[in-house]
Amino acid sequence: MISTMKVVVIVTVLLLCGPLISVSRGQQQQTATPAVQVIGLAGLKENTKGQLTVADGTLSFTHDKQTVDVSASSIEDVVTGRDSQRVIGGTLGTVASLAAPYGTGSALPLLRKKVDTLTIQYRDAIGGLHGAIFTMPVGKAETIKKELIAWGARTSIPLQAEIDKMMTTPKENK
Amino acid sequence: MIRKVRNVLAFCILLTLPGTAPLVCAQQAKTKIKASAVEVKMIPSDELLLPAEFQVSLYENLIDQLWKKRVFQTVYRDGDQNARAAADLTTLECTVIKLKKGNETLREVTTIAGATSMTLRCEFRDNDGNSLWVREITGKVRFFGASLKATYDFAKKTADLVDKDFCS
Repeated sequence: MISTMKVVVIVTVLLLCGPLISVSRGQQQQTATPAVQVIGLAGLKENTKGQLTVADGTLSFTHDKQTVDVSASSIEDVVTGRDSQRVIGGTLGTVASLAAPYGTGSALPLLRKKVDTLTIQYRDAIGGLHGAIFTMPVGKAETIKKELIAWGARTSIPLQAEIDKMMTTPKENK
Repeated sequence: MIRKVRNVLAFCILLTLPGTAPLVCAQQAKTKIKASAVEVKMIPSDELLLPAEFQVSLYENLIDQLWKKRVFQTVYRDGDQNARAAADLTTLECTVIKLKKGNETLREVTTIAGATSMTLRCEFRDNDGNSLWVREITGKVRFFGASLKATYDFAKKTADLVDKDFCS
């Protein structure tokens, strides 16, 4: 009897909290991030300033009254500037850059450190590959990447949190 | 009398002029490679650990510059399904073979140091995979601007060279 009551209480609490959780998630996703579209979005000039949002599985860039949408599921790769730094110059990339010809580790200083960059590669309806680069305030790119991945976007470089998890798991096992 | 002869001569020359234009085109076509469409492939980043920003910027600038030059009737993106049906299709593949570090601040301060440069090997292939055109092209940013401008310089140079050697 007690266990039945417990189940009923838990189910009721979950039912009540469910909409609250989804509302807060929706609000978080719809937060607009000021960004500059460096290159790539159709119909927009280079270095166009606007707002970047992720909502309902779509990455939207709004400039004045014009909005360009990219479905998260069509994104084949989403990479932040920090990802590039990690892979090319970080711990993961040190060995690779040492072994690579022409000193590819030197590509790192090419990236600006004052701003975050977000680079996406996506397919249009007829299979054509597009690429777009955005710059935004430091720390924002990783959040947008996380949201896009949650909506089905793919990435060639795992999130920092996932890498941290991978690095700490073996220690915990010991 | 002389004026009449001169007029007749001028008239004859004017009549022959439209006929010479196709001849010029035909002569150019003999030396130029004929292709009406090109599919631009994404620049691979695996061999040289090219940052994603540069990879995308190279690709997008290349497509943009090739459209602007109007060398080809159509410029297809990597994977575009319509490219399969295109007649006279060529494929453009570019791979980064050299990337030299730059420094924007140093460029702006000294104007002689801190240049960024990248060299890419560009190859056009026909539908059967035969190589039609291979060049090594270098893009640079010397004075002002972010390092990504080197990708624009590369794309512009490539489009200029393609314009010289191809016709549709």
